Amino acid sequence: MSLLYRIEHPRDALTWEGDIPITSRYTMGLAGERFFREIKEKGQLTATRCPACDLTYVPPRLYCERCFAHLEEWVDAPATGWVHTFTVVHIDLDGQPLPQPRAMAFVLLDDTDGGLVHFLGEVEPDEVYTGMRVEAVFKKKAERTGSILDILHFRPA
Amino acid sequence: MEQHVYDTKYLREQDFTEGRVLFETWSPNARYAWDAGVAIGRFLQGLKAGQLIGTHCPSCARVMIPPRMFCEHCFAPADAFVPLQDTGTIITFSLCYVTWDMVSLEEPQIPAVIAIDGASPGMGILHLVGEADPKAVKIGMRVQAVWKPDEERSGAITDIAYFKPLK
Repeated sequence: MSLLYRIEHPRDALTWEGDIPITSRYTMGLAGERFFREIKEKGQLTATRCPACDLTYVPPRLYCERCFAHLEEWVDAPATGWVHTFTVVHIDLDGQPLPQPRAMAFVLLDDTDGGLVHFLGEVEPDEVYTGMRVEAVFKKKAERTGSILDILHFRPA
Repeated sequence: MEQHVYDTKYLREQDFTEGRVLFETWSPNARYAWDAGVAIGRFLQGLKAGQLIGTHCPSCARVMIPPRMFCEHCFAPADAFVPLQDTGTIITFSLCYVTWDMVSLEEPQIPAVIAIDGASPGMGILHLVGEADPKAVKIGMRVQAVWKPDEERSGAITDIAYFKPLK
């Protein structure tokens, strides 16, 4: 004989509940600092270039991922590009339903070899397609804080 | 190849508070529910009801607290939950002048292992002794649980506020 018994649902398990308070602080790094300052001050996207590999990095990297060279050439990157891939999200980070589904995309920026993951706006999620031309919409300067959310979203261009 | 292209600079708290560096903060939701298991689950239910509970070994007849699902002497599965008394005997104790987070205390906390009446000899739980003169606490001292009021009990070991000396 034992004391085991069967439960029908995980919520019937006797549990000890707790909370682990964690607050993390993430700094942008040397290249990221400059990238986000340019966004904040000028509403301008920037990139670093590796002349040897002919690669233009967005977000900017300090070192070339292919040849490991230190990158010193900074160029402005256009705020336009195209939807490389996208998804429609229905829940938030904690799994709670969003009031409205939102389209998120990896946007490849024109004239560069990189891009940004961001929200798509001013378009219905079911109207998004890969290859769609889009452009970044920046917040007003006074509202910008030096964050990726200084870009409100990308909209059809 | 160029090494250490940038001078190393340490970020200080003022760099953040005075806005010299860009950063993001995030507090993830880290709430959890840990499955207490059958034996400890029943133990916690008992505490909420104001009752200490052990388990019984059918092979060596030990009564074990905190309750467990098998006897670690015989490897026999426990066969019953056993209600115990809320009195006991101090089998070891300490006078502790710092809290768990290293704040010094004028009056010491008195953590003690208390052998519970009704359980087998030496079977006990770790708890605090209260309402006692620290100088008077001794090994072998008889104590009784002081329970929190019904409505404050949540199914936790802290449902017992402390153990006080038995007159």
